[in-house]
Amino acid sequence: MTDASMVRDRTAIAGIGTTEYVRNIGRSELETALDAIGLALDDAGLTAREVDGIFKIDTPGEESNSELEIARNLGVANLRAWGGAGYGGGAACAPVVLATMAVATGMASVAVAVRARNRGSGGRPWARTGARVPGLAAFEIPYGLVSPVQQLAILARRYMHEFGATSEDFARVSVVQRAHAGRNPRACFRDPITVDDVLNSRMIADPLHLLDCSLETDGACAVIVTSAERARDLRRPPVYISGIAQGMGPRHYMMNGLGYREDPFDMPPLYAARDVYAAAGMGPQDIDVALLYDVFSPMVLWQLEAYGFCRRGEAAGFVRDGRIAWPGGDLPVNTHGGSISEAYVHGFNHVLEGVRQLRGESTCQVEGADVALVAAAAVVPTSALILRR
Amino acid sequence: MTQQAMTSQRPMPEITPMTEPFWSAARRRELVVQRCDGCGTLRFPPEVACYACGSRRAAWTPVSGRATLYSWTAAPPPLLPYFADRAPWPVALVQLAEGPRMFTNLAGIAVEEYAIGMELQAGFEDIDGETTLVVFRRA
Repeated sequence: MTDASMVRDRTAIAGIGTTEYVRNIGRSELETALDAIGLALDDAGLTAREVDGIFKIDTPGEESNSELEIARNLGVANLRAWGGAGYGGGAACAPVVLATMAVATGMASVAVAVRARNRGSGGRPWARTGARVPGLAAFEIPYGLVSPVQQLAILARRYMHEFGATSEDFARVSVVQRAHAGRNPRACFRDPITVDDVLNSRMIADPLHLLDCSLETDGACAVIVTSAERARDLRRPPVYISGIAQGMGPRHYMMNGLGYREDPFDMPPLYAARDVYAAAGMGPQDIDVALLYDVFSPMVLWQLEAYGFCRRGEAAGFVRDGRIAWPGGDLPVNTHGGSISEAYVHGFNHVLEGVRQLRGESTCQVEGADVALVAAAAVVPTSALILRR
Repeated sequence: MTQQAMTSQRPMPEITPMTEPFWSAARRRELVVQRCDGCGTLRFPPEVACYACGSRRAAWTPVSGRATLYSWTAAPPPLLPYFADRAPWPVALVQLAEGPRMFTNLAGIAVEEYAIGMELQAGFEDIDGETTLVVFRRA
C-alpha cells in the first residue's frame, strides 16, 4: 500500500490542456500531444524549459509518441524522469500516477502526463489481426472473439444474469451522460437522448447498442504535476493529488481474463479502490464527483460498486434513482459527458474534468465540490486518483 | 480477388510448444486442460506456472467435455472479414464441468435458443489440414 505520508497532498495538478475533440483532427499524435502540453504549461504559467518529467501510456499500437520525441520537440533541457503505463484504458490515470511518484520522490520537479490518440481517424486496432494468432488470443480470435465490445458484452450479459440488470439500466448511464454533455461546448455529441433512443440504436454486440458505446475520437490531453508548494505560487489554484493507485487483482489476462476467473466481477477497481482511499485517507462518502471510465455503459455500474458507492449488484438501482445525474444527484458522474458523449481519449479527459470541478470551472459544476475520484477501465489492470482542492 | 480470398480466411491459432498439446488433443477428438502436479488445480488457458501454488510442473489431462453456457454475445459487422461474412457472429463462454471456462462457438444451436446454464458437450471441428477447433453442442 502507498505510504500516504509520501504522497497525500504533496503534489498538485497545476495546469491542464486539451486539443479539440473531433473524428479526424488532421495532424499527428505528436502534434496534438505538443498542442495539449503547450496549453497545459500556459495554464500553469510554466514553460517547456522547466519540464523535466514526461509520462504517457505505453501500449503497443495505441499511441505512436515516445518520450524522447515529445521532449525533443518541446525543447526540454534535460528529461530526468519518464515512463509509460500499459493496458489501454486501464492507464487512464496511470501517467498521472507515475508523474506524482516522480515529483513526490524528487526525480522530477515539473512532470507532464499526456495522452494523444488518433482513434477516430486511425482505425480499429483489432482490424490488424493476422492469419495466425499468437499467445492467449489463439484461444479467442479463431472463435471470432476479436473486439473489446464483444468481450465487454459477454461480461455485461453475465452481469444481467447474476444481478438482474437490464438493457434499460445500461442505457440510463448514456442518457445521463448525454444530458451532461449538452452543456459542454467541447463535447462531440450534445443532443439529448432517451432510454428508447439507446435501445433503438443498432446492436453492436448483443446486449450492447451503439449508444452504450464510447465515441471514436482524435485528440490529446495533458496535465502538469508539480509539488504542492510550487503549485501554490503558480497561475491557477492547485488541485492536490491526495491518493494514487494502480490495481490488477489476481490472475489477470486483460478483458477476457475476467471470464476465465472464478468470479468475473472480482474486478481490478476493487483493489485500486482499497489503495486509493487508504492513500488519501478517505472513503466513498468523501467523494463529491466521480469521473468513471465509460468505454461501454455497463462499466460505470461496475465502478459504482467497486468504489463503494453502492453494494455489489445494486448499481442499476443507484442510477435509476437519479443519483449520478447533475443536478440533483448526490454523486454526479462524468459531468463532461465522458467517453460516451464528450470524447474518447482513453479516459484521460476524465482527469481534466476532475480538475475543472475542483477549480469550479465545469459546465455541470457540482456546488462546493471538494473531492473528485477519477478511475480508469474496470476490466483491465487499472489506475485511480483522488483529487481535492 | 486473391487478396479478398486471403483476407476473408478465418484467423487460426499459432501453435506453440505451450499450446501444442491442446490443439493436438483436439485433432484426435479429445479435450484437455492442464492439471497442476503441485496442487491438482485444473487450469485453462495454459500457463508456465500454477496461479494457485506456483508449481511449474503440470500435465495435460482429459476432461469430460460436459459444460454449461456461462455467457455469450452476438455481433454484426464490423468484424474481421471471415466473421462479417457470417454475421451476426455469436461467441460463447462455457464453463466446463471440471471448473475452467473457455471461449468457443456453439454448433447446431440458433442464437435465439442460447440460454445461460444450458447443458453442452464438447465437439470438434476440423478447420483445415492442421487445425481443429473445440466447439460445443447441445448435451
